[in-house]
Order: sequence, then C-alpha cells, then structure tokens
Amino acid sequence: MRWPEERERPRFFGLVALSAAALLAPLVLNVPQESIITTAMCFALVALGLDVLIGSTGQLSMAHAAFYMIGTFTALGLGSHGVMWPIAFVAAIAASALVATLVGLPSLRIRGLQVAIATLAFQLFAQGFPQTYSQVKSAGRLFERPSWLVSEAHFYYFGVACIVAVLLVLKRLRGTRGGRALLAVREVEARAAAFGVVTGRSKLMAYAISGGIAGLGGALFALQQGSVSDLQPFILEQSLLLVAVVVIGGARSPIGILFAAFLLKGLPGLLGTNGDTPLLGAVSLWLPAILALGLVLSVVLQPTGIGGVLRGLGAALAPKRELLSSRPEDTDPVLAAARARDLRTVPRPLSRRLPVPSLLTAHDVSVRYGGVMALADLTLEVRRSEIVGLIGANGAGKSTFFNAVSGLAPTTGSIRYRDRELVLAPESSRSARGVARTFQDMGLVRGDTVRQNVLLAQHWMADYPVVGGLLALGGSVGTERELRRRADQALELFGLRHLADEVLGSLPYGTMRIAEIAAAVASGPDLLLLDEASAGLTPDEAHALGDRFGALRDELGLTLMVIEHHVPLIAATCDYCYCLESGALIAEGTPAHVTAQPRVIESFLGRGSLQPEGVLT
Amino acid sequence: MLGDVVVGLAIGAAYSLLAVAVVLVYSGTRVLSLAQGEIGAFTLYAGLYSHAHGVFGYRPSIGVVALFAVLAGGVLGLLIERLVMRPLVGRPALDGLVATLAVALCLALTELWFYGLDPLAAPSPVGSGSIKVAGSTLTATEMVLLAVAAAVAGALYLFLTRTKFGLATRATTSDPVVARLLGVRVNRVYVFSWGVAGLLSGVAACLLAPINGSLTPFSLTTALLSALAGAVIGGLDSLWGAILGSLAVGIVSGLIATRFNLTVSAGITFAAVLLTLLIRPQGVFGSARAVA
Repeated sequence: MRWPEERERPRFFGLVALSAAALLAPLVLNVPQESIITTAMCFALVALGLDVLIGSTGQLSMAHAAFYMIGTFTALGLGSHGVMWPIAFVAAIAASALVATLVGLPSLRIRGLQVAIATLAFQLFAQGFPQTYSQVKSAGRLFERPSWLVSEAHFYYFGVACIVAVLLVLKRLRGTRGGRALLAVREVEARAAAFGVVTGRSKLMAYAISGGIAGLGGALFALQQGSVSDLQPFILEQSLLLVAVVVIGGARSPIGILFAAFLLKGLPGLLGTNGDTPLLGAVSLWLPAILALGLVLSVVLQPTGIGGVLRGLGAALAPKRELLSSRPEDTDPVLAAARARDLRTVPRPLSRRLPVPSLLTAHDVSVRYGGVMALADLTLEVRRSEIVGLIGANGAGKSTFFNAVSGLAPTTGSIRYRDRELVLAPESSRSARGVARTFQDMGLVRGDTVRQNVLLAQHWMADYPVVGGLLALGGSVGTERELRRRADQALELFGLRHLADEVLGSLPYGTMRIAEIAAAVASGPDLLLLDEASAGLTPDEAHALGDRFGALRDELGLTLMVIEHHVPLIAATCDYCYCLESGALIAEGTPAHVTAQPRVIESFLGRGSLQPEGVLT
Repeated sequence: MLGDVVVGLAIGAAYSLLAVAVVLVYSGTRVLSLAQGEIGAFTLYAGLYSHAHGVFGYRPSIGVVALFAVLAGGVLGLLIERLVMRPLVGRPALDGLVATLAVALCLALTELWFYGLDPLAAPSPVGSGSIKVAGSTLTATEMVLLAVAAAVAGALYLFLTRTKFGLATRATTSDPVVARLLGVRVNRVYVFSWGVAGLLSGVAACLLAPINGSLTPFSLTTALLSALAGAVIGGLDSLWGAILGSLAVGIVSGLIATRFNLTVSAGITFAAVLLTLLIRPQGVFGSARAVA
C-alpha cells in the first residue's frame, strides 16, 4: 500500500482511528453490549443501502425497514430449515433486491415524489404481513450460527466484516460504470442518455443494490437473533428513522451514516445496559427525539450532515493546495492531437467505422413543441472529415437540431447516420454509434471531478456487467484501467491533465466547456456536435479552439458540426456552413458565401443594418 | 354490503380531510407533506391528556379539547411553515419531503416521550350516538365526518375558484415566480396553505381518533398514508381527485378488510398506487405538471 498524499492524510488517519476503535471495542464491551452493537450494525447496513438511493439517485425510499424484514425472514426461513448460512445470505440479498426493484418500478415513469408514496404504501402492506401470516416467521425453529460464530465477540467481528465489505462495494461502485451512470441520472437526468446511459435501467439498478444491501442487513440480523418474533424493527417508524439517519449522517457519506446509526441504535442500548445510572437511562430514552430534532435542524441548516462536517474538518486540517492555473495549458494543437491518435481505437464494429462520404443526412426534419414549430422541414448533410458550421440568431433552431440528432426532441422526418435511421432509435444508442455532443449549458456533472466526467462520457465502452464491476470480477478492472488511460489522454489533448482531479464545478466556465469537449472526444466519436463551444472563452482562447477543430479533423479524423455565434471562428475553421432562421434553412455554402448573403445579415443584425458592401464582420 | 360501503365512506371522508390538507400544501408550496397526520395527533394528544389528567386543576370538556386541537393544529402549521419550510423554499423537492418527515418524526417521538406507548382514550367530541344503516352501525362521529368533509371540500372549492386570494393561490401553484412578478404575495399563499392544512389536520385527528377508539403515536401518520395513497391515485394537484381517491381507498379497504384482513387491503392499496404510477403517473385527475 502506498503512503497517502499529504492532503489525504487527515482522512486516512481518521479511518485508521475508526478501524482501530471498531476492532478493539470487544476488549471493553461485555457480551450484551456486543450484541447490542451488532444489532446496530444490521441497522447501519440498511442505512448504507438506503444511501445508495438517496445519495446516488436522489430518490427516497420509506420502505427500507420492510426490505430489511424481507431479508431477515428469507434468511431465517432458509437457515432454520438447515440451509447453509452463505446460501441463506445470498438468497436474502436477492429477495430484498428483487422486491426493492419492483417497488421502484414507478421511477421509470416519473421523477416526482410520488415514487416515495409507493414505497410508503409498500411499507404499510409489508409490515402487517407477518402478523397476519405468522408462518413466514418460522416460529419455533432456529437459524443456528456456525460454530465459529457462536461467541458474541466473533459475531461482532463478522458484523464488522460485513460492513467493511459493503463499504468496499460502495467505493467500488463509484469507480465503475454503474455508479457513474447513477450520478449522471441524478445530476443531469435528461442528458445522461447522451453518454449512452439507459436512465431507467440505472434507476432500477439503484433500487436493486439498495434493497440488496438492506437484505444483507436482514440476513445478519436473522443469524444473530436465531429467531425473530418481535416485529418492532421493521415498522414504518424504523423506515422513517432510517431516512433520518441517512440525512443526519450525510448523503453519500458512509462514515457519517455509520456514526448516526451508532448514535441512534448503539448508544441508547449501551447506556441502558449500564442501568445503574438513571440519568443515562433517561438520555437514552430521549435520544430518538433528539435525533428527530437534529434531523429538522440538519435539513434546514446543514444539508450535508455529519459527513459534511467531517469533510470540512478534513479540509481544514489538510494543507492548502496550490493550483497553478485553472485554465487549460497551452499545447500545440496538432502535436497534441497526433499524440492522442489512439483515442480512435474504439470497440466499434467495422461496419460502423467504414469511411462513407456522407456521415449525417437530415431530410425534412421537423420538431414541434406544442404550437411552436422549432424546426421546419430541415434538410442538410454533413460530409465526412468536414467541419460544418450551423449559424443563426437565437431561437433559430440550431440546438433543437442537435437535440433531434441526439433523440432529445420529438422529431418527425428522417435523420440518417451512416445510412441508419436515428429518429426512432433509443436516445442512449448515439454514443455507441459514434455521435457525441456537448450542450449549450453544459451536460456534465458539476459536482464530480473532471476525470470522472470523462470516464462517464465513455460509458458505452464499459460493457462489463454491473455486479461484476462491483465485485471487481471479470474484465471490469482491465476495462476501467483502459478507460482511465483514454480519459487522461483526452485531457492531455486539451491541456487539462493538471486539472483531472479538480471538481468540475469549481473551474472557470470556459475550462468546463473545454472539459466537456474533451469528454465528448474521449467517447471515440466519428461525428462530434459542439453547441456553442466558444462561449465563455476569451477571444484568444476561442481562436486557439478553432485551431483545435482543425487538428481534431486532420489528426483524429473527426467530423465536426459546430453551432457558433462567433462569426470569425466560423469563417476561419468551417468547410461548409448552414444558416437557420425560425427553424428553416435560409442559406448554405462556404462560410464566405453564407455570411455574404443579405438574408443572413438581416437575420443576424436586423433589417436596415445591411451595408452597401453586404459584408458581415 | 351497502352498510359497509357507508362506513368505508366515512373513513374515506376522514382520509379525504388529510388528503385535502396534503393537496393544499402541495399546490401552494410544491412540498409533499408527511406531517399532516402527526400535526393533528400532536395537538389532540395535548388536549386529551389535559382532559384525562387536567392541567393546573382545569379539566377541559371534550368539546373544548376538539376546538383546541383544531386551532392549535392551525398554529402548529403556521409555526412549521415559518421555522422549517420557509428556509427551504427553492431547495430540491426531496428536501421539503424529508423536512416534513422530520417534523412528523419529531412530533411523534415527542408524544412517545410525554405520554408513553399506552394508547390514550379518545372520546368523540360529538357524542356516542349511532344509527343502523343497511345492517351496519354508523356512529355519530362518522356522520359528522361525512358532513364535515363535504363542507370542507365545498368551502375550499368556492374559495379557490371565487375569491381573489384563491386565484392568487392557484397562480402560485402554476408558477410561483410569475405569480410573484404579477404582484401575488407568494409568502402569504405559503402561510395560508400551511395554516389551513394544519386546521384540517386537527379536524381529521379529532374525528379519526374516536373511530380508532384511542390515540397512539404514529397512528394518524398511518392514516395519512392511506390519504396519501388516495391523493396519488386521484392526482396530487387535484382537489377533487384527491378527495375521490381517498374515498375510494376508504371504501375499498373497508370492504376488503372486513372480508379478508388488513394485510390484503394494504396490499391492494399498494398495488393500486403502483399501477396508477405506472399507467397514469399524474393520477387519474391530476395534470401532467404534477409529475415533473
């Protein structure tokens, strides 16, 4: 293991101290106390599972106590009939994951909070089930612990191992395609498809993982208890407390959540078993209410919870880091592009790579929003290895055309890419076919690092199964290494390598835009659609960007279509140019030809601004 | 059968009071409130406790308790709006939901603390008379519930459609920013929504607790869930949709529960919510905007 970098050290030492405390605790705890802590660990596992939903997708489940119960009774039912514990555990995880996926189905249709109501209705249904149908409780039979787990202290360590395993899986999730897709769905849902993310599948995956972890908590609880007759741990109140624990602990902050879970479930028990001090006993009674009050305060005043406090502490303790420049480095565009040439090597079938004369043909494309005709019968063509400009005043339909190509607008007519129809194809299929794009107002996840975003853009290339990725099985490790290499290469190409670990949202706007182009290029496209790439750049930077366009075409063999307001940039870089007005094409030809057309000048500058020379500058 | 329907209708009427409170808050502030059950329970707890044990030597009659619970519910709604919800305006919708959940937890756990787990007897403020309807017993409380729910629905409908402030409320529902630009005092709409929703919670609590026979922490939040299910099925931003949805949930779960058991009826409610969200996510009478 490498020694952590200086600024990572507060976090590192914090973790070491925490692990030491967790490992040494049995030395000072008595048996009932160990048992209380282990039960709290089961609860903490469920909370960690819930955080996958709240923290990573922004969905709320108020049925996690029910998922916990399903895990418990599945494990108990199998284990008490003599099934070996690992099998019972896996079955419990699978059962909870399956049910959670079912409950999450409405999230495919709506983004609103109604989904949370479905989870509430499920909680209410599930919690009454074992009361009415008591046979599910497997009463009278025992789920016996294996001989090496009979001692409470050993079981305590087993619980710690389960938590560590879940923490590792969650950490791994962040570094694999599934986790990146979740974040994209949470932050830029409508645009996640442009990276090849299938949003519905990602959401259901989050429900499955979340429920699965809750199921593991349930299985652990079943094995610890042997038999369960009290249904108190599975009722609505507990589901709400779980939400409280995640919010107070801080979404996406596992340590904070563990801490909050310990406060709620571990501490009162520890104080209670010390029994002889009535004051402590009273405090333990009051703890839930204090927690609820803390929840209110936390939502209003400290939305990042305990985890946010810890992160702030870590940042305060770490030495300040100096950033040389938050702007892209100056690199020679041609040399850099030549060096990044193997970004072209992508796993795309030959039939989708063959050089064809015409990459994109749009025929009679119309987009209508209610009564507004955003695009009317547009017909245009993008030939291979050209840089094509798309100009027009605001509201002319330029971005709408990009949206039509990306499948983000209700389109009629025909858009063919490499002679295959795009209009009805799923929107997440574009990046795999070789069409990448940027958005006018940034389609990346601002809360994540530059490198993570570039990795996200390569989503379609990471084709390993999500579970394999979580457990670091199969080709997932190698694939991730390769994607990372590509990401760094793309960042190098745009002079952003020194900013790879910076949070995207902390960078200047112009730099973010360049990062977005870098991400799009990393996804290995043939056709790159850039929406107002030069916005937010200084004139010098815009000029440099124009040189890069040429280098991308010449060295990487890309075809570009650029929406641009900066006319000199169009004139200097484009091979061909289309001009739109109110959704219709009004001129096409070489940039010089188009910008000389009276109608184009009128469209840009208004009637009466036409100079006798008819030249737009 | 018919008698069961009438009794179910009365329970549904209680749910619909809560559902109207939820819809009012949702329309006014775009917050899905989980606190409406516990707000009424909290004030009713205080009232019933003093009815049973007296405060400073004064033992209020049950009518006074009801009046107190309703008015205090309104005040509590206002307090929550000012202290918790107002700072959250403009934050993601999830934060609002979690905040109301926090409030509900806070109230319920405080009840647990003060009054313990033992159910507190909840006599009806309208006496214990009853009549027979098609073989089932309809208590005075249930009759009053039906009347009150109808009156509340009618009054709110007239208010929202016939008064200037009602128009301002509806404008805020459709777009708070534009409403503000047009001169609507949006904050007043928020205050009004939470205040009236608090009053309704108090009314619902006073009439639901006697039907349950007693009051326990979380019992009215459980009732709120049925109301929420009804509101989601009917449409979260539709007054009539929410009322009809809650009535339907009340009737259907009443019928199922008497013939099978509570678990089956809760399962059917869950299935209905799931199917509604899959087939028509905005609810039967909701507008498409409610989905975003």
